[in-house]
Amino acid sequence: MDIAQLGQYVVNGMMLGIIYAMVAVGFTLFFGVLDVIKFSHGDVLMLGAFTGYAVYLGLGALGIEASWLQLALVVIASVLAMAGVGALIARFVVLPLRGAPAFNTLLITLMTGMVLRECVRLFFPAGSNPKPFPRLLPDTQWAFDGFALRLDSVLLFAAGCAAIAGVHLLINHTRLGLAIRAVAQDSETARVMGIGFESIVLLTFALGSGLAALAGVMNGLYYNEINFGMGLLLAVIGFSAAIVGGLGSIYGAILGGFLFAALQTLGAVALPFGSAYKDVFAFAVVILIIAIKPTGLIAERSSERV
Amino acid sequence: MNDATILLRARGLTMRFGGVVALNELDLDVQRGEVLGLLGPNGSGKTTFFNVITGLYAPSAGQVRFADTDLFRASPQQVCRAGIARTFQRSRLCLPLSVFDNLMLGCHIHLDHGLLFNLLRRRRFEAELTRLQRRARELLATFSPALADRLYQPVGAISMIDRRRIEVCRALISDPRLLLLDEPSAGMTHDEADELLADVLRVRAGLGELAIVLIEHEMGLIERVTDRCVVFNYGRKICEGSYRTIAADPWVQEAYLGQG
Amino acid sequence: MAAVPNDLLTVVPRGARPWLPGVLGLAVVAVLLGAFFYAESEWEVGVLLAIAAALGLAAPRVPLLASAETAWRARPRLFAWLALLAALGLIGLFREEHLALLMLATALFHIAACMGLNVQFGYCGVVNFAGAAFFGIGCYTAAMLAGHAALPTALIFVLGGACAALIGCVLLVPVLRTRGHYAALVTLAFGVLFRSFMEVNDTFGGPQGVKLPDMTLFGWALAMPPEWFGLDWSFYVNYALLGLALVAGLFVLLSRLERSWIGLALDVVRLDETAAATFGVQLTRWKIFAFVLGNFLMGVAGAMYAVMIAFVAPSSFTLGDSLILVSIVVLGGVGNQWGLLPAVVIVMLVPEKLQFIQEYRFLLYGLLVIAILLFKPDGLLPRRLRRYGTEEAA
Repeated sequence: MDIAQLGQYVVNGMMLGIIYAMVAVGFTLFFGVLDVIKFSHGDVLMLGAFTGYAVYLGLGALGIEASWLQLALVVIASVLAMAGVGALIARFVVLPLRGAPAFNTLLITLMTGMVLRECVRLFFPAGSNPKPFPRLLPDTQWAFDGFALRLDSVLLFAAGCAAIAGVHLLINHTRLGLAIRAVAQDSETARVMGIGFESIVLLTFALGSGLAALAGVMNGLYYNEINFGMGLLLAVIGFSAAIVGGLGSIYGAILGGFLFAALQTLGAVALPFGSAYKDVFAFAVVILIIAIKPTGLIAERSSERV
Repeated sequence: MNDATILLRARGLTMRFGGVVALNELDLDVQRGEVLGLLGPNGSGKTTFFNVITGLYAPSAGQVRFADTDLFRASPQQVCRAGIARTFQRSRLCLPLSVFDNLMLGCHIHLDHGLLFNLLRRRRFEAELTRLQRRARELLATFSPALADRLYQPVGAISMIDRRRIEVCRALISDPRLLLLDEPSAGMTHDEADELLADVLRVRAGLGELAIVLIEHEMGLIERVTDRCVVFNYGRKICEGSYRTIAADPWVQEAYLGQG
Repeated sequence: MAAVPNDLLTVVPRGARPWLPGVLGLAVVAVLLGAFFYAESEWEVGVLLAIAAALGLAAPRVPLLASAETAWRARPRLFAWLALLAALGLIGLFREEHLALLMLATALFHIAACMGLNVQFGYCGVVNFAGAAFFGIGCYTAAMLAGHAALPTALIFVLGGACAALIGCVLLVPVLRTRGHYAALVTLAFGVLFRSFMEVNDTFGGPQGVKLPDMTLFGWALAMPPEWFGLDWSFYVNYALLGLALVAGLFVLLSRLERSWIGLALDVVRLDETAAATFGVQLTRWKIFAFVLGNFLMGVAGAMYAVMIAFVAPSSFTLGDSLILVSIVVLGGVGNQWGLLPAVVIVMLVPEKLQFIQEYRFLLYGLLVIAILLFKPDGLLPRRLRRYGTEEAA
């Protein structure tokens, strides 16, 4: 293994890590306000990527060629659209099951994800084939001793960090964030104090889903390919990351995301049978971690009242 | 106090949740066959005491002996097998299950859970079942004859008052030596509460020496049914004695009787 | 009959032949099912589905139909036997139809697997989103043993279950130590892991899968058309009978389990762990029991299924397939074994018959399960109160 290959693995791992972390932060946000897992999250990400792709095609048809403008519009449209989808899912699928067993919510969102996935496969033109995602970022690259660092990777990584930091600031330093935290702490009391419970839940789901859309577009920009099935594995991974980190903690989600990416990379680099086993390895370690630390690395604050 | 007459002995029992001390070096004895009233304001540690004794919380320090068994940090299952049963402040019946099923949970440790018995020896199983059904119906009938006829209805379809009665029956049917009642009268009128406690005492009379610890806010009830009382505040025992003794305590007078 | 326990028995029809509506109801179901297998054009299937849906919706309101159900509940043993006879009759009727028998057998093996899931989260509340993986372990065990060793087929079925149960034990520690979402993740991750492992591993055939040879069960050549009663039979009749025997056997076993102290203990663990522990229920013991038993049943069903289709590949054991199993259980009514029958017809057989929805079937049953969870979370046939058997005599 030479330095160039190693560098490539590290860059790859960082990109995976930031995308996983963004997905996991979504899971943690939803869990925080409503104690639910919204498993359609990965498919919302996929739908975000496809929305971005459709907007790109539309802009091309309109004759808008400037790639910075295309990029901006793709991101804005996709994030807004998915924020809307996220709020709709919360309103019509998740909230009605409030009070039902957690299992039901998990299952209904798994099914919602399947419906989104199937809709894209069946109703997007030639939706069952992978789509080439456009390169909208400058293709500058710097060469270090045989290893090429692409500018777009750096930009994407920075964008991901900025997005997570933005969510963190929003949660911790704004009135909206205060309301979200109040609902997460104690929804009854928050309600009594005049915080619109339902609107806060919808906003949180919109926020998390917008973040997923951004992650989806970033994923497309990085790999230059999207397909209808990409969301499922990302959901399982994002969920794993959120849980391994400890549900309900943003830091845990980030930690979990990078940890999972590191495990996959390590599996690809270090396992004797080659990279094919990287997912097997990563999931096996996740199961092991949960066996050792049942509430995740950063423990969830919870106490059951008897 | 004579050692041989002590059923439950707690010494220096301490329970901390993070920085909060819910029980603070509590010493408490329950005599064989007595009815002990547990009083104190909300948050004074009464329910925490029950949860620690029944193994739901692991105490931070102290000693717990029950008869000849060491129950310090015992699991809830061990506590149950030792002969302690309880009710919960917020009803914890299984609502989708029938009244009979809920009572059989009370019998759990006396039931045979062998595969052979349950799957293949259906005839012996049904003989046992008939016996238990009679027992359940008799016990329920002590509290409310109407309830005994609703043995195969889901608990979810039964009124709150009757659910309290079922919960007490579930604890009694396990043949405990110590019964912990956590505000059994919550949500009941004075008369209903009186009746419930009178029924408990009537069943107890047929059971030998069952000791009862009763958490209760209603002073009249405490006066009528308890042999002895203990008053908690901030996780400590602040006074102890017969109802007359504690009623004379200035703190208790201020906290309870002054208003009542 | 001293002190008849009220609500259940008072509604039993007290006419001269209280079982008659039950027999009629069963006959209607059998005829519909037979017609369903017989139907070839899509509109025929459509009409049948419409009739079935109308009957299902009308059942609680039409006294005759409602009393059919009451009769079933009053004489469960009699009607279970009659249902078995009806199923045998259907198999006899379709003795030459490869496709109908294959569909029937496939449905039966999946019902058996779903019974395993029902034990796990229907009774005990242990979530398992890796049903297809445990089914798959059974399939692969059968494939490996059938190809490499001269073992009796019956033993291979048992070993299929044993392997699933054993590998499932690896998950016991994380499943037992966690609750709710965390436990769900453990099984989800295991399901994904199993599939990718089978895909990259050459020993087990890799993505192309492995073939199974023809098998013989106690001298009964499963892959040969039998020559019973001098009639022509499809060889799939063997598997349909095998599946029926498995489902019937499990049905007896699991109904006894449910109507016993074990069934009660499992229910209590699901409903309230705190109350259960307070009354001495060993939570861990019962969770292990349910998880291992459920995985065993899924493994046995998988092994039999693999012998039937004689081919195993990882693409049949995806997360989507696990979700199909879970959907069948939820659709039918969690914890109710009878509910699996209509659910498996809707989820597995209807798309086979209606080719035009084949393409849309994941979409449709996704929507179906969402609708069920939103509007009828107890499923098509909600689980009823436990009856141990002798309440009448009590």
